[in-house]
Amino acid sequence: MELRAFYQEHYRAILGTVSVLAFIVIWESLLTFVIPLNPFFFTKPSLIAVAFKEQVIHGALWRDLAVSSRAFLWGFSLAILFGIPIGAFMGWRKRAEYTLDPFLTALYASPLVALAPLMIVVFGVGLLAKAMLVFLLSVFPFIFNTFAGVRSTDRLLINVVRSFGGKEKDLYLKVIFPSTLPYIAAGARIALGRGLVGIIVGEFYAASEGIGFAISRFGDTYKLPEMFAGILVLMIGAVVMTEGMRKLEALLAPWKMSQESQ
Amino acid sequence: MPPFIQSRNISVIFKPKNREPVTALNDFNLEVAKGEFVSIVGPSGCGKSTFLNILLGLIKPDTGETQLNGEAITGPSQERAMVFQEFGLLPWRTVTANVELGLELKGIAAAQRAERASELIKLVGLSGFQNHYPHELSGGMKQRVGLARALATEPDVLLMDEPFAALDAQTRDLMQAELLQIWEQSKKTVLFVTHSIEEAAYLSDRVIVMTARPGRTKEILQIHLPRPRDYEMRLTPEFNDIKATIWNTLKAELTARSEYGA
Repeated sequence: MELRAFYQEHYRAILGTVSVLAFIVIWESLLTFVIPLNPFFFTKPSLIAVAFKEQVIHGALWRDLAVSSRAFLWGFSLAILFGIPIGAFMGWRKRAEYTLDPFLTALYASPLVALAPLMIVVFGVGLLAKAMLVFLLSVFPFIFNTFAGVRSTDRLLINVVRSFGGKEKDLYLKVIFPSTLPYIAAGARIALGRGLVGIIVGEFYAASEGIGFAISRFGDTYKLPEMFAGILVLMIGAVVMTEGMRKLEALLAPWKMSQESQ
Repeated sequence: MPPFIQSRNISVIFKPKNREPVTALNDFNLEVAKGEFVSIVGPSGCGKSTFLNILLGLIKPDTGETQLNGEAITGPSQERAMVFQEFGLLPWRTVTANVELGLELKGIAAAQRAERASELIKLVGLSGFQNHYPHELSGGMKQRVGLARALATEPDVLLMDEPFAALDAQTRDLMQAELLQIWEQSKKTVLFVTHSIEEAAYLSDRVIVMTARPGRTKEILQIHLPRPRDYEMRLTPEFNDIKATIWNTLKAELTARSEYGA
């Protein structure tokens, strides 16, 4: 019965691990025993693992990762730098909201990757164009979530701080900012996903290095295991960053997280 | 010598957008002596909470003036503090940090703040919960924090806006007893808004019964129960008589309200 108790305590982790392992085993077995593998059209986990290892040890993987990360970090940082103040401003000033809202809503709703060619025409092939694409895609979640956070600040808490003699500055620092933080953190998670799309599309479209470029080049040359190794790196990066974001959220807003889990 | 608190000819008219203006208070007058415990009862919407907010300095009346200790109230000041019905605790602050809010806004040094906060936390019986966040506390405990926060800045006047309305009956009885104890030690002037006739009778030196909207004073009832009061007093015929008197005064106002469907 000990096994059962162990299962009940950890069944979330156990089920998750089992399903991933099963997926890999079935994939591998199908292409080993059932369907003959045509390496031009498909590949299997064992070959991807070999390619991945090869890439990690000898390949250009690290350089590609560094190139992509740099562009991503630039774009994402700019998105934070512009998105939060714009959103906050819209939240405080109705007129700013009404003026900016049509543009922002249209841009947020549109698939902005369509602007990739324009970015490359304007900023050239390289870091700047990719960073701008990341920025364009990831700035909107910051704007809208900051806006929503500021707008949903509890009036009662504003009155509480005012009643104890708080000035306008205190309202921002002691109420509006902390109550908006969890919204910003949630926006950051959305922005992360959109930013990754930006970097990859940018590199697909025109680049000479970077993870997106590597994936597309290996695909073009039918080196499928290497291509999947690149995708794997991308997935790992995305998961690590999303989890990191979640941790940061829990750190910034412990009261919010435990409310959600209740 | 003028009374400690003197409100004269207070009128407040709310002018909501696209709707008829509402007269919340009409020529309301009140005098309160230093150290007195005064309750205000009246039908919903009679302006009793509005009046507390005027005393707090968050609402400016359309006519009339309130003087505290001979000086007109023009805005919030730490000589007056409110205990809010919905607690109004900052969710991102621990119990200690919530209690310290007023002291912080006053610019008191951190060490002194901490010392004062820990005294008050002890006073309201929350020792051991200093580092808890509000969402980890029960309703009664939250309101203890609210009370400690209001007392922290050593106000002369304690304003309480249905502070126990959100609590269950037993917690409420307990909180009333503890409030009386704290009041007897500190001798603050208390203005207490409530819907509960029993609560008003049990706690107060005087009970102000207000008319239906627009609110004015209908009757002022002196409560001649000895102090200190205890729970057993509520079971005496004398106490029942007081409740009946308040009820009979209030009854006509409640039915007057219901004609408007409120």
